[in-house]
Amino acid sequence: MKVLVPVKRVIDYNVKVRVKADGSGVDLANVKMSMNPFDEIAVEEAIRLREAGKAEEVVVVSIGVKQAQETLRTALAMGADRAILVVAAEDVHQDIEPLAVAKILKGVIDEEQPGLVIAGKQAIDNDMNATGQMLAALLGWSQAAFASKVEIDGDHAVVTREVDGGLQTIKVKMPAIVTADLRLNEPRYASLPNIMKAKKKPLDEKTADDYGVDVSLRLEIVKTAEPPVRQAGVKVADVDELVAKLKEAGAI
Amino acid sequence: MDFRFTEEQDMMADVVRGLLADHCQPADLRRLMASNEARDSARWAHIVELGLGGILVPEDKGGLGLAPVDFVQLAEAAGYAALPEPLVENAGVALPLLAALVPADHPVLTRALAGEITVALAHPANPMVADADSAGAILTVAGDTVHLTTPEAAGLVHQPSSDPFRRLHTLANVAGETLATGAQPALDAAFDRGALFAAAQMVGIAQRCVDLAVDYAKERQQFGKPIGSYQAIKHHLATCQVKIEFARPVLYAAAADLPNGDLHSRARISQAKLAATEAADLATRTAIQVHGAMGYSWEVDVHFFLKRAVALASWWGDAALHRDRVAARVMTQPLGPEFTFARES
Repeated sequence: MKVLVPVKRVIDYNVKVRVKADGSGVDLANVKMSMNPFDEIAVEEAIRLREAGKAEEVVVVSIGVKQAQETLRTALAMGADRAILVVAAEDVHQDIEPLAVAKILKGVIDEEQPGLVIAGKQAIDNDMNATGQMLAALLGWSQAAFASKVEIDGDHAVVTREVDGGLQTIKVKMPAIVTADLRLNEPRYASLPNIMKAKKKPLDEKTADDYGVDVSLRLEIVKTAEPPVRQAGVKVADVDELVAKLKEAGAI
Repeated sequence: MDFRFTEEQDMMADVVRGLLADHCQPADLRRLMASNEARDSARWAHIVELGLGGILVPEDKGGLGLAPVDFVQLAEAAGYAALPEPLVENAGVALPLLAALVPADHPVLTRALAGEITVALAHPANPMVADADSAGAILTVAGDTVHLTTPEAAGLVHQPSSDPFRRLHTLANVAGETLATGAQPALDAAFDRGALFAAAQMVGIAQRCVDLAVDYAKERQQFGKPIGSYQAIKHHLATCQVKIEFARPVLYAAAADLPNGDLHSRARISQAKLAATEAADLATRTAIQVHGAMGYSWEVDVHFFLKRAVALASWWGDAALHRDRVAARVMTQPLGPEFTFARES
């Protein structure tokens, strides 16, 4: 079985995000970019499936600017077998919307015919949480979102999902789309020998036009704002004062 | 000529920085210090998994066959984290020396490359041996002969250290299995690597101290404003950053030049050691001052970095020795822009 993992190049999770002065988005100039952390978990899961003998090949796909090549090299260094870059934007500030991403992925999947797609549940830049679900709908495939455990059982995948207030285990017929949640696994660090091998692994480059997908924007960002600055706390002298303050605030 | 690091070199550095950011924070150092240990086995296991041990060992000896310039950013990252484990001394200095003196199937080399043991080096340039007690083997030197021994056979005598994570020892007995005679060129190369990677660690230490001080200066308020908004603070920190920015290219040039092993490359390495030592000295002292009256206390994380900088300043040659090496180049060879990249013997 072939496993396909879509990965997105996003602003590094350690970087303090700066909103552009005109509020049109986030400033990405000279900012460290990395693989979306949920996608990293998805890559790790796919590699583990291959190591467990449940999959033969792990293919990673990224859709965006040319620089996403670095993100794909990271995935190859972790252990993916080959990569596909679909160049769909020239400006690093242009985000490809989930529907366009899902349509391009459908084109890639039609060519690659994977048995399983493992994606991150959402990208940490726009928090859409939509691509995996849209992709399942476009393909007419089974869908298991927010996975915290994935087991392959013949032509089915048994997926434990993190839902409000607990866990839900479902069995989905493959081919299927699984989206990875935070606790699915802890991604490995790419080892030095694998980083060196990654350079020699195949990386195909395509464009959105190759799949006949229109990536023009359907959504307009009206405003982007930083969260309100946290107010300074108050020092209390003793427990009685603390209790009084909490009562005052209606907390107890 | 393209002086930038390659994508692979940056990726290796990112991986090591990420690992150390996850597993080697000041809170981890405090825990280790409280346990009176100098090594965290879980963190070391992660480092071993990265396959770092053989990075500078030639491929025909079982290593990755990479160059010092591939390792320099990793050593810098180790300094930035004040990494207690001997990654730099083991992978950067001792293992390439061992590999240069023994066949590929030598059991100590094989075990060291597999990450089962570390190798300590009793180089004549250093008065003591670092981390000899936790090493599986020790390389000792008598004249230009290199011996291989064990911590048990060497009769380790514990010596005080300013850095709680650098266990220092002298050896009562340097005799052991003779690996090579006439090994002076290999020992000189080990010295150059030691000095270069000590410089890299000190650039990392300097940067960490500036980062710690900047974070504190943004948070600590005086007269209703963060102290970092006052010129008395920000100018000091800017001066430290300038020192670092001037040390870093010297360091990277020295790393690229080290394999030439000539007068020119030795001068570059010594210049890097001098520049990095000055940057680390200024940055650690300034960070202490920026932290105010508590700056020198154990409550503030700066002391880990200060102690490492103090330890490394005279390790692999003190300032006087390195000034002499720079002078040997400056006084005997033509100077000027047209000679910047000239090679001479």
